[in-house]
Amino acid sequence: MGLNDILFAIFSFGALSSAIAVVLTRNTVHAALHFVGHLLCLAVLYCLLNAPLLGVLQVMVYAGAVMVLFVFAVMILDMGEQEHAPLFNSAGQALGAGILGALLLGLLAWGLGRGGLDQALAPAGAASLPGVETDNIAQVARSLFREGALTFEAVGILLLTAVVAVMVMAKRKLES
Amino acid sequence: MFGVGFVLALALAIFSIGAFGVLTRRDPLVMFISIEMMFNAANLALVDLSNYLKLVQGHALVFFVIAVAAAEVAVGLGIIIAIFRTEKDVNVDHLSELKG
Repeated sequence: MGLNDILFAIFSFGALSSAIAVVLTRNTVHAALHFVGHLLCLAVLYCLLNAPLLGVLQVMVYAGAVMVLFVFAVMILDMGEQEHAPLFNSAGQALGAGILGALLLGLLAWGLGRGGLDQALAPAGAASLPGVETDNIAQVARSLFREGALTFEAVGILLLTAVVAVMVMAKRKLES
Repeated sequence: MFGVGFVLALALAIFSIGAFGVLTRRDPLVMFISIEMMFNAANLALVDLSNYLKLVQGHALVFFVIAVAAAEVAVGLGIIIAIFRTEKDVNVDHLSELKG
């Protein structure tokens, strides 16, 4: 059991437990902070899965920008007074959602197993290009700007649209 | 020791936890965080499979998912704050303005 396996076990457990903590905690700020921990664990998992660029992006975009937005929204909405409200509407709803979630998990696992994942993927894995670990960022950039160049531009337009939409929403509320 | 199936199972579990959170919680911010968690589970599955198949296209796809999720967070939080400014209440059970 090498160092990678130990790190893998630790951060998989961390990602899973912090995900459960997000859903079960009463306080919104605590949920946001648990989510930061979840994101950081996932970033480490990305690095262990030979995707260091995505690990860095995860920390910068998610744990940085997105979580700042979330905490900012918590501050504006002033969620403190709802701290003593019950966590779920009713035990029945929570139970039903739990059963549905477990069903979803089982269905996804069954679908993946039924699809014969290993057999389906093995030939493609053997035929694909070797040495993805050595120069990950250059390869991702090549894939991003050659095959995905059009998508890249579309994402740029999407981000611009989102910025304009948020500005319009904020402005209209100030006028009224 | 930890193969492709282990990480896929982890991603499935995180996705299901996120779905549970969206279904049960009434706080829109926690619902939103749960949706982000489901995004992240999909990303984790993509990274795991592209690591297994030695393909980098999955990484490019995750890049796009992260960008779309960032745009979605900006718009979604803007909507939640706009609702709070008019309603002074963000409990999703009380938001029935769009009801026919």
